[in-house]
Amino acid sequence: MGAKWYLGTGAQNDVIISTSVHLVRNLREFPFPQMLSLQDKLKVNSIIKDAASSLGDYNFNYLEMKMLSQYEVVSLAERHLISPEFASSRDGRALLITDDEAVSVMLNEEDHIRFQVMYAAFSLDEAYKTANEIDNALSQKLNFAFDERIGYLTQDPTIIGTGMKASVVLHLPGLASLMQIPKLISTVQKLGLTLRGSYGEGAAAKGDLFRLSNSITLGISEKAAIENLKSIALQIAAQERSAREEILKSNATEDKIFRAYGTLKYARLIDTDELMELMSLVRLGAVKGLINIDTAKIEGMMINMQPATISLSVDRPLDRNGRDMLRAKRVRELLG
Amino acid sequence: MLCQNCQKNEAKMHMKRIINGSATEVHLCSDCARSLGYGDSFGSFGLGFSDLFSDLLGRSEKTLSGSSTLRCSLCGKSFSDIAESGRVGCAECYVTFYDKLLPTLRKIHGKTTHQGKIPENFSETVQAPQIDVNDLKEQLKLAVEREDFELAAQLRDEINALLGGAK
Repeated sequence: MGAKWYLGTGAQNDVIISTSVHLVRNLREFPFPQMLSLQDKLKVNSIIKDAASSLGDYNFNYLEMKMLSQYEVVSLAERHLISPEFASSRDGRALLITDDEAVSVMLNEEDHIRFQVMYAAFSLDEAYKTANEIDNALSQKLNFAFDERIGYLTQDPTIIGTGMKASVVLHLPGLASLMQIPKLISTVQKLGLTLRGSYGEGAAAKGDLFRLSNSITLGISEKAAIENLKSIALQIAAQERSAREEILKSNATEDKIFRAYGTLKYARLIDTDELMELMSLVRLGAVKGLINIDTAKIEGMMINMQPATISLSVDRPLDRNGRDMLRAKRVRELLG
Repeated sequence: MLCQNCQKNEAKMHMKRIINGSATEVHLCSDCARSLGYGDSFGSFGLGFSDLFSDLLGRSEKTLSGSSTLRCSLCGKSFSDIAESGRVGCAECYVTFYDKLLPTLRKIHGKTTHQGKIPENFSETVQAPQIDVNDLKEQLKLAVEREDFELAAQLRDEINALLGGAK
């Protein structure tokens, strides 16, 4: 495996961890996947696979979901390369994915094509540009279901129109610690956006990681939706920075950060929830210059230490104790 | 089924999540769904919307009398099939049941006219999308509310250009 999309740093990286743009498309000639026979699903897969193979710039690997093991599939979902829905049933579904995992295309999820482009840090313009290029190239080969009144037609009417969901993953330990998350969730809803836990929900979001995305897709252009998301993301990032200043005034926060670091360096068993909680503190310490560690390394650990992904790394299913032990060992090695 | 979050209300939303290494179904009532950030529209990748959507459709269906025998020519679904399942069968359904689906689209998005890109190979008589001045005004209002004056200025110029051009 080569370099992955998340091993990069960039603008706003103290708060904004990653950016993704999803586009949803359907083939005009076929009903949506839920109405298709297995045979027709396989036909759809092969049509899209052929179209994708002609995109010279992208070298896609084609994976039939049925051929993958349970933990391989769940690991893809843990790394946000496929949806939980896609992982829950595998027949007739396939995935096109680039080596660096920056572009992944789910075939026959709720729609024929759901693809995403992922970038590290705050890169909405770049991610949209890439997604748009892939979309244009595919549309040379495929007839997309489109209506000039209501745009791209999708099985899920909440994404009709542009068929685009753009999102950023935000690290909000400051705002979470000041109990500001519920207020923020309801504020962004009024602005046509959604904020929710990237791993786990609401106030229980693991690792203080939250995904902010546009919820309106009809009656707004892609550009306007991206600009709106950008501007709110920057405002939340600014609020988060002030919240961090606030909580770091107390030496209790600094103490927590170093205790978290100490636990990670010496623990013999760590479950995912504890890892995410401690990593969040260590990441805060790293961006504030208290701990000398590269944030890309932390992001890598948050992704690679998830339950199914850690099993995948040794290519066999592990029980809970086995995972917790291996996770603790890997973290110790990485923190050296 | 009760909401897993509050254990009080009937769960209205059912979705798949990855929890501790396996794909698990999560059940939430609408209040908890909203407070957890699911709002009125559900998410980026593969988050269930069906109950809420069929609620919306179900209500508008009840107000429409009688003839629901019209069926989509491509997938064979009737409008009541869509309302019951909360799932649109195919692209053609949107054409067949356009008028009946439109109120739901308005409830979800607040608008009903596509403003985004058009597929490059879209061959039918394509007109430039009608830019709705009211939509721009709405966006301008939002931009001012969140004090994004740069965008607001840009929108103001666009509105002026459109109004000027129409004269």
